[in-house]
Amino acid sequence: MSKLGRVVEAVENYNRFVLDEVRRARTETKFGQQLLERWNRIKANTPIGRAPTGLPLPRLALPEIDEPGEIARYLLGDGLPGEFPYLNGAYREMYLEPLREEGSYGNEQEKNGHGKNGHSKNGKKGVAKLAETEEPTRLFSGMGLAEDTNERFHYLGAHQRSKRLSTAFDGLTLYGIDSDAPGVFGKIGEGGVAVDTVEDMERLYAGFDMGAPSFSASMTISGPAPIIMAMYIAAAKRRFGPSVVPKLRGTIQADIFKEVQAQNETIFPVEASLRFLADMMEYTTREMPRWYPVSISGYHIGEAGATPVQQAAYTLSNGFAYAEMMAARGIHVDQFGPRLSFFLDCGLDVEYIALARVSRRIWAIGMRDAFGAGTKAQMFKLHTQTSGRSLVAAEFKNNLTRTAAELMLAYMNGSNSCHSNSADEPFTTPSEEWIRLSAHGQAILLDESGIFKHTMNMLSGSPGMKAVERAVEAAILEEFRQIEELGGVVAAIEHRYQRSQIQNAAHRYEEQIYDGTRSIIGLNKYRNANEKPPKVELVRTPRAKKQIQVDRLKQFKKRNAAKAAKALDRLAAVAETDENCFPALLEAAEVCSLGQISGRLQEVVGRFRPMV
Amino acid sequence: MAAPIRILTAVPICDGHDSAINTINLEFIRHGIEVVYLGYHRYAEDIVRAAIQEDVRAIGISSYNGGHVEFFAEVVRLLKKQGADDIQVFGGGGGTITHEDQKVMERRGVDKIFFAGTPLSEMVEFVHDRYGKAKRGKKAPTAEMKLARKLTEIEDAYAKGKKKRPTPNAKRLTSNRKQGSGKNNRKRVIGFTGPGGAGKTTLIDELVLRLLHREPKTRIAILSHDPSVVGEGALLGDRATMINSQDERVFMRSMATRGQAGGLSPATEDCLRLLAESPFDYVIIETVGTGQEAMPFRSKLIDETVLVMNPDYGARLQLQKIVMLDLADIVVVNKSDQDRARTAALEIKRRLEQNKRPQKLISTVAKRHRDRGVDKLCDLLTEKK
Ligand code: B12
Repeated sequence: MSKLGRVVEAVENYNRFVLDEVRRARTETKFGQQLLERWNRIKANTPIGRAPTGLPLPRLALPEIDEPGEIARYLLGDGLPGEFPYLNGAYREMYLEPLREEGSYGNEQEKNGHGKNGHSKNGKKGVAKLAETEEPTRLFSGMGLAEDTNERFHYLGAHQRSKRLSTAFDGLTLYGIDSDAPGVFGKIGEGGVAVDTVEDMERLYAGFDMGAPSFSASMTISGPAPIIMAMYIAAAKRRFGPSVVPKLRGTIQADIFKEVQAQNETIFPVEASLRFLADMMEYTTREMPRWYPVSISGYHIGEAGATPVQQAAYTLSNGFAYAEMMAARGIHVDQFGPRLSFFLDCGLDVEYIALARVSRRIWAIGMRDAFGAGTKAQMFKLHTQTSGRSLVAAEFKNNLTRTAAELMLAYMNGSNSCHSNSADEPFTTPSEEWIRLSAHGQAILLDESGIFKHTMNMLSGSPGMKAVERAVEAAILEEFRQIEELGGVVAAIEHRYQRSQIQNAAHRYEEQIYDGTRSIIGLNKYRNANEKPPKVELVRTPRAKKQIQVDRLKQFKKRNAAKAAKALDRLAAVAETDENCFPALLEAAEVCSLGQISGRLQEVVGRFRPMV
Repeated sequence: MAAPIRILTAVPICDGHDSAINTINLEFIRHGIEVVYLGYHRYAEDIVRAAIQEDVRAIGISSYNGGHVEFFAEVVRLLKKQGADDIQVFGGGGGTITHEDQKVMERRGVDKIFFAGTPLSEMVEFVHDRYGKAKRGKKAPTAEMKLARKLTEIEDAYAKGKKKRPTPNAKRLTSNRKQGSGKNNRKRVIGFTGPGGAGKTTLIDELVLRLLHREPKTRIAILSHDPSVVGEGALLGDRATMINSQDERVFMRSMATRGQAGGLSPATEDCLRLLAESPFDYVIIETVGTGQEAMPFRSKLIDETVLVMNPDYGARLQLQKIVMLDLADIVVVNKSDQDRARTAALEIKRRLEQNKRPQKLISTVAKRHRDRGVDKLCDLLTEKK
């Protein structure tokens, strides 16, 4: 049995355990009494806040139950926010605004010695902690040359306490190809930023304090991720010296499994890609404790057309496969586990009412009971992006409403951070007008509206949500069994299992649009017969800019030719062995271009052979 | 019955948005169209070379990552340059291709752009209406194009009801072939067969990489097969995985079996003969995944047959039933990094010994870069006779 089989067993066992405990709570008076007491304590210790209208509200909403069996079902089956199995949230508080007035806070789960009134020695702690919290808003951006994207980063970050930059690279960079390669000129800086060298990387984050706690960079790149990671570190060292390395915060996507399954940006054969990834993870786990070296992504799987259940099932199983891989390298689960993070899609299908909640629960149980992980490694840290595919060209301004609804679902599911798409998504890298509206969409939901800021669990646990949770969990476990039957994640990939499932679902989705099973307003329903082609501002990179990138890359190569040749030889020599390549990559990143490095590594390990 | 329409589809370089084209491919094949799918992240030159060799009526391109005006125009320009402008270019890219772009693109010779929100049925209808009949202007300007068109003629003749000839007389064919190949006595026609999932396609592509590398002038032809049912389309997807075979010195042709059982198409024999008579140093033919009783290579055109096997063929008893084990010149146990591989190789070795013929057995891991087993296979196949 692979680890995935164990995960299925673990979840089944846990569900049985919860039912047993429910029964026990009802039959063993003493146990029932303990639960009731705990329940009452939690309620009594929940502080009361006030809405601007003066309405008093508890900071934590709980179901109205007073029967021990039901209490057991809730506390063990769902868990309070921040408690195993984390159905309601990986953390407490999350989007809550600081308490406006003095009030008690805390419950027995917080081991800070909070007294009944939450004051004692940590009097202000709850409040102080909240003031430090950062906005969950992340806007994915990248366009043209590094300096253009840098400008946009400054524009987007202008009003944010914390600078959380999310970087989109152009197609060339995503495929590890240099801007001066033949036949690709037209693609430079389209759909993301062009990065060829450490110097581009410096330009990209110029003006930001890369080592500051309030700064983090997220980089959406996977095929050549270890190379780009090395360039990022090299750029930071150039600007802030070697002592900056352990301070670096951020995320690099680096998830190879979903590339093979959905996004199609793998550049080395799968085994070699996984080896380079693990080399990088080993390095960052040791040297960069604040870095998230892999973002296990379902977004691309969902956008490629998978059903929500397929998305969650493939993403989670990929996650467990990474955990297995790192454990096989002899790294303890509590070392790498807390550095794994997740990235899911959120569309308008009904599953999204609870998809992330269920995923969080399965991850926690699987990590604890199949991998023996401690608390930090059980937490499913989630970034969500609203669905790009749900946004359509016909009467495109409706996309604002779609994204708003999706954001609502994403926050109902306790996302730790969120990207909202712009309404011009079907046409172009977003222009400033629409990107501003999409950022404001999040602010309106979280800051302006009272929906999420007064009470944890505000919209959690409705009977409908519970029904969706149960159905979704069962369906995900069924998918796990299928994958297990094929021999686990890697074997299933070789069978084209995930790819063919996703492709069939994508075809069905399009069919359903045209046969009317799915309503798409403005397209197959309430269509405006007189609609004219929309006027949208296109973000495209002019030829002259593309030429600048080519010219400066050529200069870089000329300047560093001798050093580059040596660094590449060393890198190739290490790549031939079983040693960790990352140190050699770090050296190469100083003097070589992305294409030089990926090309040389391909000579050693081969090229990826695409799957249909 | 009319021969199926053949088109080629692909996604441009540095673009992995394949969801739309996968859906469209599926829709096309369900409506009787044969689709040669080249895959995502493809250069314009590779697309044009493939379209010419496959002699398709049109190229469908799905582009999302920008630069589409230039990319489509480049494909049209290269087609024209090769004298292949009877091959039409059409495509889409959702909302990324605007109405203004479309006008520019059509002015530069693109046949049609489909905007976001177009029903799939409209695209199928378009292909049937527009590319339903071959419109052939001038004579084929290059030898490669001539060969490609000739292959289409052969295939179409069978689709229209031509009867298969009985397996031809070995002697006549051999002498025929020698004429075609000229001075070179090393010319080889090699047949690859084996069950689905054994890794034939990968193995052939790795072999091609080595052959091209070893001799700078070697020219190779590949005839690959995918299954299809009479009256339905087919997805011909081998090119997408055979990255090393997308090369100027390789002529590749993808064929659908069009209802014939046993791993080949009714037109295979004639097509193979034509390729064998053409100036290639190697002609490689690959069957679709076959069952135990299959003996696809009864043709005397084939010099060497290679059976590619997966180590997990089940119990030893199964081996007795695999007919190709008696007939193959070389048996390859691919995926020999799998647990069962050593046992498998031993069992097969014993099984081959019963035949008392000089058969060779090689273990490979084709998916591994620079695999020694594949090197060995290449040595065997290039040995002077
Ligand atoms: C799905 C999607 C993805 C998925 C792709 C999954 C996959 N395997 O295909 C994921 C999440 C992986 C992805 C990633 C990226 N994406 Co994307 N993606 C999209 C999205 C949301 C939908 C595209 C789609 O497949 N639609 C479904 C199809 C069926 O419908 P359609 O597009 O309307 O097309 C219709 C017709 O045009 C026609 N058609 C299309 N092609 C063809 C071809 C032929 C032959 C025919 C006959 C018809 C036809 O058929 C369709 C049905 O009517 C679009 C935005 C959007 N809403 O359109 C962005 C979009 C295309 N992506 C974009 C970008 C930038 C990227 C990234 C580069 C981001 C990054 N920097 O990391 C990466 C690159 C991925 C890669 N490997 O190349 C940009 C492109 C911007 C630009 N050109 O200016 C877009 C427009 C989003 C945006 N506004 O930023 N993406």
